[in-house]
Amino acid sequence: MSGNLYTRRMGDEYNTIFRQCVSLNTELHKLVPLAKQMHLLSSNAVSSAARAGSEGDAFRVLTQDIQLLGDEVSDCIDDTQKVIGEIVRLASHLAKLFSNYMIYVDLQDRLDGSSTKTSDKFFDQGQKLVAEELRSNNYKLSRSLGSLTNLLSPIAILVKKGEYLAVCSSVEAASAGEHGVSFEAVSSMLRELVGQLGLQSARQRSLLRDLTEAMEKQQNNQGKLLYAR
Amino acid sequence: MRVEQLYKKNAHSWMVMGRDAERREEVIDTNHYLIQNNGRGLLLDPGGVENFSVVAAEFSKHFELANVEAIFASHQDPDVISSLPLWIQANPNLIVYMPKIWVSFITHFGVKLENIRPIPDEGGVITLGGHDLEVVPAHYLHSSGNLSVYDPQSKIFFSGDIGAALLPDDSTDLFVTDFDEHTQYMEYFHRRWMPSNTAKMRWIAEVRKRDVEMLCPQHGAIFKGKDVARFLSWFENLDLGSAWSNVR
Repeated sequence: MSGNLYTRRMGDEYNTIFRQCVSLNTELHKLVPLAKQMHLLSSNAVSSAARAGSEGDAFRVLTQDIQLLGDEVSDCIDDTQKVIGEIVRLASHLAKLFSNYMIYVDLQDRLDGSSTKTSDKFFDQGQKLVAEELRSNNYKLSRSLGSLTNLLSPIAILVKKGEYLAVCSSVEAASAGEHGVSFEAVSSMLRELVGQLGLQSARQRSLLRDLTEAMEKQQNNQGKLLYAR
Repeated sequence: MRVEQLYKKNAHSWMVMGRDAERREEVIDTNHYLIQNNGRGLLLDPGGVENFSVVAAEFSKHFELANVEAIFASHQDPDVISSLPLWIQANPNLIVYMPKIWVSFITHFGVKLENIRPIPDEGGVITLGGHDLEVVPAHYLHSSGNLSVYDPQSKIFFSGDIGAALLPDDSTDLFVTDFDEHTQYMEYFHRRWMPSNTAKMRWIAEVRKRDVEMLCPQHGAIFKGKDVARFLSWFENLDLGSAWSNVR
């Protein structure tokens, strides 16, 4: 396969990775208002529990868990966005390095068979340096992708936790007499929010799967090219 | 691609490369210069990432590029210097002289500060293998931080974009052969890309203080002998910053 064709193919793969990172980042941003709504909901729950007096004691404990859930979702989003930013940076740097690598390949082709005053080692050094950087960046990219998978995994657990809290809130609502109406409103809102969180989480997992596949494909092709030469 | 020696005396020489027929149509043609002194080399405006392999391969035939110790960038444009990371990958100790005001911009090409030697607005001196080259300010011609290089030994003045011409593709001359005919390829470039008549007059005064045998631009043909003075007079009378029809 010619260098140009490889470069084009690799360029396409980097573009795919970049686009997928952007899509994932966009999806993650959708979690930000969800986390905010969860905080707002926990404030409403605290007010409801306070208005209920001693009948709201058990519900008050639940409000703390709802608040904690909101915090955990926020932390998860913050950490994930940092890793996504790093992945986009690495993917774009890899594209640049790969392009440089191909330029050195073109240069070596031009120098083949011609009489030069410059020693072969001079440009070999540049090409090797680029190849090393490519491998090192690829390794970092794989590691960041692993971190991203780890960071996104707890969201599914948080969804389960939210569903459980919603059920508990409904139980408290049923046993809280006249105050049960506001407890039930909190429960219903919580169910709605974790439902959305679940949908987002499923979509993110699917995007992450695509991204992982694209990265593996790109790394295989790049590895083949670097070792073939 | 044409490569020619412009000057050679003892261990001091100038070489030019230009008219890259292989370049992509949309890429502007550029001239690149290699100064050698006592076995040490200095590349002037080595060019863009697009033509790195061509420039490196051609100059390799004439010089041990491991002995190129420095690169000079007249200004920050990609056709001047975007190949820089590739040169530095090949030689991590390479020194890069550039206008001080562009340092934090050129580093976006992926160059580290340790390689950079910023040249202040007032210019300075670059020493190559024991020989001093003068760095002359050419600000606003066209870039707001722009430098020229004068070599008192060869009497060659590297002018960057000043004197540049957008020549037709079939033009292969490295030197201006008919000055009057040549002006048609220079006029729009200078009027459109260069904004300051004041800066122009200052630069012309600086050039006239020196004994210049050749004026070497980054694009187009080189001025030699009497054409140097002809160019300065023509440039002096040109109204810069006037090629945009909406200018009032």
